[in-house]
Amino acid sequence: MNKEKISSQEIIDLVASKASVSKRAAEEFLKVMIATVEEGLLAGEVVKIKSFGTFKLQWNESRKSVNVQTGEEILIAGYYKVVFIPDSVLKDQVNEPFAHLEPVELDSVPQKNEIIEEAEESDPLRIFTEQATEIKNLLSEIQAISANSIPTTPVYHQPAETIHEVQPPETIQNVQPAETKQEAQPSEIKQKEKIIQDVQPAETIPEAQTSEIKQKDETKPEIVENDQTPEEKQQDENLKIIDDKKPNEPVILQEPLEKNIEKEVEIKPIPSDKNESQLISDLPVTPYLENVNRTKRSKVWIWIVLVLFLVSGLGTGIYLFYNPTNEFSTKYSLNKINENKSITEILNTVSGWFSPKPKPKPTPVAVKVVIPIDRNEYDSISQHQPVDSTQLLFDNPRVYNDFIASERIKAGSRLTIISKRYYGSKDFWVYIYEANKERISNPDHIAIGTLIRIPKLDPRLIDRSNPRCLEKAKQLHDIYVK
Amino acid sequence: MNNKELIATMAGKMKAPKAVVAVLLETTVLTCTELLVEDKTIGFQSFGTFEVRKKEERLSVHPSTQIRTLIPPKLVVNFKQSNILKDKLKDMPHHE
Repeated sequence: MNKEKISSQEIIDLVASKASVSKRAAEEFLKVMIATVEEGLLAGEVVKIKSFGTFKLQWNESRKSVNVQTGEEILIAGYYKVVFIPDSVLKDQVNEPFAHLEPVELDSVPQKNEIIEEAEESDPLRIFTEQATEIKNLLSEIQAISANSIPTTPVYHQPAETIHEVQPPETIQNVQPAETKQEAQPSEIKQKEKIIQDVQPAETIPEAQTSEIKQKDETKPEIVENDQTPEEKQQDENLKIIDDKKPNEPVILQEPLEKNIEKEVEIKPIPSDKNESQLISDLPVTPYLENVNRTKRSKVWIWIVLVLFLVSGLGTGIYLFYNPTNEFSTKYSLNKINENKSITEILNTVSGWFSPKPKPKPTPVAVKVVIPIDRNEYDSISQHQPVDSTQLLFDNPRVYNDFIASERIKAGSRLTIISKRYYGSKDFWVYIYEANKERISNPDHIAIGTLIRIPKLDPRLIDRSNPRCLEKAKQLHDIYVK
Repeated sequence: MNNKELIATMAGKMKAPKAVVAVLLETTVLTCTELLVEDKTIGFQSFGTFEVRKKEERLSVHPSTQIRTLIPPKLVVNFKQSNILKDKLKDMPHHE
């Protein structure tokens, strides 16, 4: 606090020179002034000095306190105190260096989220395409995995289908007795069937039936090759685990599920290879093996479909609750703004029918300022909307050739304050900046002594009561201040 | 006591026309304001001192909505009464 203190004498000197009176007169005046104010206060009055402030008395209640040294309780008697409440004129002048600052609400995050959500709802097509690409990526990923892990089987995929379709009665006949022999297995299989049917109700009935058949076919190799059962069982268990997990699926994240499928896919080739060799050597029933492959494949596909479903669901969830990228959200909010704008445009045009048309802006060519209007904020949606004169005013590059005043930048000068003085609102400083662009390199740091010119602006452009004007100024502000 | 009454009282004391007093008062106020804007402390003997104090920025929480607002710093004029004036006021009885 290294403030220079001015004494009464200096004030007297200053007043004397300013009011061109003798120092003695000024001194007398000051004395009388203070005496009068004091008198007024002592009389219990409130003394007000124009454009300076108000003096008044404040009663401070008596209170108890403790003597710091002795610890004794002492009573501080109530007393009057002179308080000074500065007039708004004085207040504003003193606070000028900070006048451009405004209180900032910090907890506006939930509001923002709401806007993003609404924006996303307004553009569902975009979300769908986003999801589609995601699903595509996942599909290719899974296909790559399955292609890597089942290198030996693909030969059988194609014939398996045809053979299976050609001889279904045979397989069923073969299966039926086997099923009766092995009583432990069918229950398990049936359970599986049930679950699959439950999960895939959209499937057509014939398909479901074939899957049933396929399921039954699966038992065949198991029965024939008894020495192979542990491996098969392991596989079955694996499948069962997944089956059991199915009802809980919505809760499970996609990660573990994908792992399960990978596991399944990886396990598969081992038994199937064995099946292949053993079946070929022992029995002439290759269709069974192919059926096994087919059933497993179909199962895998069911799982893939399920997982994709889940992933897409999760994707939408994530999209709705967290914004994935900033760019995305800002784009949406811009869209939102434009939509609002278009509504106001319509309203304005409608009201324009009943009110005299504002004369179009003169189009002089003196000082042309290139304004970086970001075109993407006026996208296809708003371009189709009728554009009224104010909107045109906003869109046209502003041209400044009339100036109402010029101002020299001093220490502490700010474009916002100048703007407030000339246009009534500090939001419109951007137009002053635009008109003086060649002199101001950075609107935040203007060299002291710079002479700036205050442009004459269309009153419709700087209408403080019109939210669109403020909106436009804000947009420009965002462009210039990064 | 408003500005008019103050001028009238002063004019009566100084035996000077009100217009002169009004001009002088205005000049004084302007001078004081200028000095305060330049971040100077003004001390009036036997009355008190005027000084500019900076209120730091702060975080305020709306009690009912819980919205936190950042209040920017500001400069305010502060008046501190002198001890002479304080002593004069001490004798004043509290009536209410």
